[in-house]
Amino acid sequence: MEKSRRSFLKIISNILGGTLAAGILAPIIGLIIHPWLKETVYGTEDFIGIGKLDDFPVGIPKKVTVTSSKMDAWNIFEGLVMGSVWVIRQKDDSLKVFSTNCPHLGCGIDWINDVSRFLCPCHEGVFDVNGKTISGPAPRDMYSYRTKVENNTVFIDYKNIT
Amino acid sequence: MANKIYEWIDNRTGLNKLLKTALDEPVHGGARWTYIFGSGLIFLFMLQAITGIVMASFYSPSSTTAWGSVYYIQEQTSFGWFVRGVHHFGSSAMMILAIVHFFQVFIYGAYKKPRELNWITGVFLLIFLMGFGLTGYLLPWDQKGYWATQVATNIMGTIPVIGEYIKVLHQGGSDYGNFTLTRFFTLHVFILPISLVFFLFVHVALFRKHGVTPHWKISEKLLKERVDPFWPDQVFKDIVFAMILYAILAGWVFWKGGAELQAPADPASNYLARPEWYFLFLFQLLKYCQGNLLIVGTVIIPMIGLIFLFVLPFIDRTPSNSPSKRIPFFATISSGMAGAIALTVLAMHHDAHDIHIIHQREDAEIQAARAVILAKKGIHPEGGMSIFLNDPIYLGEKIFKQNCNGCHKLKGIGGDNAPDFTNFGSREWLFGLLKNPKDKKYFGESGVMSPVKLPEESLRDITEFLLSQSGNLLNTSTDSLERGKELTLKGNCAICHPIGDKNAIKIAPNLTDYLSEEWLKEFIKNPDDKKFYGTKNKMPGYEGKLSANELDALVKYLISLSNDHLLVSECVLHEKRLTVSENSQQTCNKLLNSFDLKMQESVKNVGAVSFLTPSIHFGILTEKYLFASK
Repeated sequence: MEKSRRSFLKIISNILGGTLAAGILAPIIGLIIHPWLKETVYGTEDFIGIGKLDDFPVGIPKKVTVTSSKMDAWNIFEGLVMGSVWVIRQKDDSLKVFSTNCPHLGCGIDWINDVSRFLCPCHEGVFDVNGKTISGPAPRDMYSYRTKVENNTVFIDYKNIT
Repeated sequence: MANKIYEWIDNRTGLNKLLKTALDEPVHGGARWTYIFGSGLIFLFMLQAITGIVMASFYSPSSTTAWGSVYYIQEQTSFGWFVRGVHHFGSSAMMILAIVHFFQVFIYGAYKKPRELNWITGVFLLIFLMGFGLTGYLLPWDQKGYWATQVATNIMGTIPVIGEYIKVLHQGGSDYGNFTLTRFFTLHVFILPISLVFFLFVHVALFRKHGVTPHWKISEKLLKERVDPFWPDQVFKDIVFAMILYAILAGWVFWKGGAELQAPADPASNYLARPEWYFLFLFQLLKYCQGNLLIVGTVIIPMIGLIFLFVLPFIDRTPSNSPSKRIPFFATISSGMAGAIALTVLAMHHDAHDIHIIHQREDAEIQAARAVILAKKGIHPEGGMSIFLNDPIYLGEKIFKQNCNGCHKLKGIGGDNAPDFTNFGSREWLFGLLKNPKDKKYFGESGVMSPVKLPEESLRDITEFLLSQSGNLLNTSTDSLERGKELTLKGNCAICHPIGDKNAIKIAPNLTDYLSEEWLKEFIKNPDDKKFYGTKNKMPGYEGKLSANELDALVKYLISLSNDHLLVSECVLHEKRLTVSENSQQTCNKLLNSFDLKMQESVKNVGAVSFLTPSIHFGILTEKYLFASK
């Protein structure tokens, strides 16, 4: 009798103890996995403004520094330099925006006005004004960004490079 | 398979024997519900350890990041508020249970030879527990923790000769700063837990050695006859108690909505500090020990109490455990406890009736709520307080207190010469004004306007219409508004008050755009303008006395005094990350549309935020436009 009472108590104790542990651990685990549930570090803008349309000359690439703000958990960091881009305003006011990094090994690409060509100084990659590879080791054309213009301000989709 | 692994491990570690020793301890006299308190404390300590460790993985101990990280745990994670709540209220639960355990041990006489060291290690554990409470209170770096802990460190400073050195050592410097937090954090998560675990180990080992101290009426015979194994007989009771404790604690956390987080610590504010409830008796004691006597309250009385506890097992040498044989000791402990309870009650009673404390608590709550709203936009690296630096309401409140509060009473504080601004601009406020402008709360005897003698329903309609003029009234009812419009324009109001033409002049203030930001600004600048009070004016004008920014901040603050209005600057924060309640969302959208044109003008003028998309620039704009372009 005493023995079966104790076995029963053991089972009940285990069940209760397990329930208690589960009740405690559920919210704890929910908190631990927070970074799976929510982004903790992110840029605050999808499209980043890079200047007024009027400030870009037609047909001539202009190098622009891209700044944006970043949320890092509770902090916001404003005016961070994300990188830079080449912006070319077309005659019809549409825009082409290229990464300044060479598609070969990522060196900084320069614009050589005399010959109207982009030149990567590292391995002499040459690209035309539309970013098309003309010569050199680059496996593809220059990287570009989607753009949009609102209220005379130029925005680029800096997250998605194409 | 599992058995084989277990066997393998057991062969090499003797795990089985260890478990048997731990679990098969005989409980003489039988397992009892009265023995659950010690194990309940161990359970709560484990709960504190688990919740604490998880929070430590989010927490950042520095004066610029502490508040932000706690805010993040509280507001941005799914379970953070609950885990933090369990940890926060868990400390109170431990304190209560520790007191119960203490009294049980005392009443049962369980401190007597040969258990003196059980008792002494227990007293140490109680001191550590208070240390946890004290150090943990500061870590969020909010107003309450910051100011309450100041009191504690200042008490350290009153210890003769070495006080100042001890204080500097704890603070990590002569004033509060980064090192105060790193040191309190180190104490809270390393030094105190390690010390507590060590003493707990000794405490439990000694308890095992000497066994339970049964009730004094249980006979020796029964003690020898009835022996239950610790597992499962006593463990079952302990688990049930642990479950009850956790259920109460979780229920309490839900009921309270988690632990409080006040606004970030502001060293420049004059906050009335109050410690956690279990330190209130010491706090109250200090009120009676002033000047040269201070040391009596801070050091001497607490020391006497502690020394008494430490020597109790040596001075109480009566062989019997029966309370009736230990009356002097019962009297001492009971009077000490009664004193502590009385002091606690006095402190609570005083605070509950002190109007300054009540208002401060209200203000602290409002400020805390505001801090959370502002922090959602992200906290600048300068630290928690930076959220207020660009906040018009915060600045506006300061301006109000400096310039307006002398005549306009607010929440019971301030002068009586002008209308009371409690709930200024709310439906209730304006309704009251219409009903009786000569009420002491409004214009008093100097009021020229006579009460509007209409049924209450109609007064409410007029209120609705007049307040809707501001363009930011929440939850407007179109029907009531239309009726109010009719009553106002065709009734007696329009005889004295011009409505509809901004520049029209009659004998009473022009109510076109009444209580809108622009109306308020114009009014505050020149209340004696003919379109306002004209020659009947008594209020000083502030044109030239307040800068455009200050005026703007003041007006925003005034609008924020009622719950019936929506502040433009709160409309749109980062659209993706933030949710505004549905009601205000609708008003926001309306506002956005109507203000969009104005705002685009501002963008052109300022150019500060021109890169933001139109949908998000609005909220940031109002702040930046007004405060970045100083």
